[in-house]
Amino acid sequence: MSQRTAKLIFWVGTLSSLVLLLGLTFDTHRQFAALTHADHLDAQVVAGKHAFERHNCNDCHTILGFGGYYAPDLTRVYSRLGEDAIRRRIEHPEIAFADSYRKMPQQHLSQEEVTDLVAFLQWVSNIDNHDWPPQHSEARWKRSTQRLLAGATLSPPAALVKQEDCLSCHSLGDHEAHKGPRLEWIGARRDAAWIADYLKDPEAMAPGAQMPAFDDLSRDQRLMIGEFIVSLAAGERR
Amino acid sequence: MSHSTQRIAYPYFAAALLLFALQVAMGLWVAANYFITMPQSLVDVFPFATARAMHTNLLVLWLLLGFMGATFYLVPEETDSELAWPKLAMVQLGILLVTGVVALVGFFFGWTQGRPLLEIPRPLDIAVVVAALMFLANVGVTIFRAKRFTAVQGSLVAGLLFLALLYLFGIPFYRNLSVDWYYWWWVVHLWVEGAWELIAAAMTAFILIKLTGVDRKVVEKWLYVELGLFLFTGLAGTGHHYYWLGAPRYWLWVGGIFSALEPFPILLMVIDTWNDVRHRTRPMQPKLTWIYLIGGVILHFVGAGLFGFAHTLPQINYYTHGSQVTVSHGHLAFFGAYVLLNLTFFYFAIPRIKGFPDGRYDERGGQWGFWLMSLGVLGMSLSFAVAGVLQTYLERIQGEPYILAQQPIRFWMFVAFAHGLMVLAGVIVTVRHLLTLRPAPEAAAEQRLEEGLPSPGYGG
Repeated sequence: MSQRTAKLIFWVGTLSSLVLLLGLTFDTHRQFAALTHADHLDAQVVAGKHAFERHNCNDCHTILGFGGYYAPDLTRVYSRLGEDAIRRRIEHPEIAFADSYRKMPQQHLSQEEVTDLVAFLQWVSNIDNHDWPPQHSEARWKRSTQRLLAGATLSPPAALVKQEDCLSCHSLGDHEAHKGPRLEWIGARRDAAWIADYLKDPEAMAPGAQMPAFDDLSRDQRLMIGEFIVSLAAGERR
Repeated sequence: MSHSTQRIAYPYFAAALLLFALQVAMGLWVAANYFITMPQSLVDVFPFATARAMHTNLLVLWLLLGFMGATFYLVPEETDSELAWPKLAMVQLGILLVTGVVALVGFFFGWTQGRPLLEIPRPLDIAVVVAALMFLANVGVTIFRAKRFTAVQGSLVAGLLFLALLYLFGIPFYRNLSVDWYYWWWVVHLWVEGAWELIAAAMTAFILIKLTGVDRKVVEKWLYVELGLFLFTGLAGTGHHYYWLGAPRYWLWVGGIFSALEPFPILLMVIDTWNDVRHRTRPMQPKLTWIYLIGGVILHFVGAGLFGFAHTLPQINYYTHGSQVTVSHGHLAFFGAYVLLNLTFFYFAIPRIKGFPDGRYDERGGQWGFWLMSLGVLGMSLSFAVAGVLQTYLERIQGEPYILAQQPIRFWMFVAFAHGLMVLAGVIVTVRHLLTLRPAPEAAAEQRLEEGLPSPGYGG
């Protein structure tokens, strides 16, 4: 190979790739607005992003899969946990993670900052990013629960869930409600007995919890709801 | 060393080495956070996030100081002239070190831009830009006054210019998170897989020319081809970071195809180095410098090329993205590609700056440093890889909640920590060795060379 050929390889290789990168960057910018729902990106979402950066959240958590790997990914946290659970974690991490082997710092955020952060996380949860992350994939929530729901409408615990109107605050399957955490998510983390105790007195199990007590239900009824929720847990093995 | 202003490189190297030791020590603390339950009172004051910001920023700062020092050593020799403004180079070092210290102390008190790896607050970014402009002016004026242009310094200066230009994309506040990450990668990806590769290839070519005595024309010819392939695969290869951030679907194709080709230029660099070694006209001395050079080229290929390829295809990356798999690749790639390269250059340049005959030095102790560090980082990366595969399977495929999937990972983080202790020991040995380098025991060295035998007591 001559020096001339070598130089030619350098220029052709570099410039062709550069042109491709810049061209696609231009096109990507034309599509960002639709893919990220930029029409919902208001001043409060931007204030939330400022708060997110001010408190260096991203060096423990990942978001869109980027950042520290020390804490859960926040891309779909809004559809997974809902507003109250997010608030409780930010406002009182020392209580929310009292039993956890991994802690979150208490950074004394103002109420306004917390509200902004929730708005930011809500906006992020709607970014169309080809259904990543897999563990919070909307398609998967739906697949894994549709089947269960079909049979469950005839079962006593499902009737209880309906009677007590749990779904007015919690998401389940393709039903969306963002006040409390998604039922499949709770099912993967807790056992039936824990859920039964929680239903009786949420405040005792998680101080600061917003959920009302369902102490008018019997222990058996609460256990049935617990078993039902545990059976909903997302995951391929169920 | 042919020009007295090349001496400017030494304070850069010394500062870089001390920051390196601090970076690795901070890394151990970061790892400890994974397997020890830290008390809430400590987490409130010194959270993982702060320690991680220190660990990563120290890495970037010391590697850049190493590159800059290497440039100040290399450019006078390539242009055959003195550096334009040696005093300015010292002022620049002062600015960078003060900025670095202020940033580290600032992180502790929560003063941060809050974006991973780009945590340095915006007012300090201005200081960094000023220092970068001083640096580019100094090097640029030296080259233009001398009017001697070589491919080696062309690649080096192009890499440095590219590096400085890309830093600007990391400074503004972006309203849209997806756009933010899009340009974040212009700094991070286009640095390590673009600008820094240009710098690395230039530094490697320079050392090869000096150490092997192979014809400059041959080395420079392959340098062009390597750079062409690096940039061809690396520029559009940025797409492998655009799969899941809210960008159009075609990035899955572009990112997948171009980044699958990324190992090839590194492989060419391995083959090219091997060829130069075969056609050398000088003995492979000093041995330790060669161990560093060849070790670096190999681990560059393994860490950046192979470990990178392992999770770059979108079908795989969908499950591994944002897990400890990335951490595994990141540690071995940075170590192989840039840490060992800087240390190779230090071992090449420091004896010459100190005026040791033929660039030879007393190698005793240095080998321990190399092997402790290299085996330590390799073990660490493999531990992270196990953790990453576990996380991918339990969290991404089985759908277990994050905190449950992390439970079995804690053990592997402890294993990584244990290897980290090995790395720290190696770093302390190496830093001490480099900062107290002594000339080779002359007679003994000559005798060994004639017999062609490995020296007793020299370890590796």
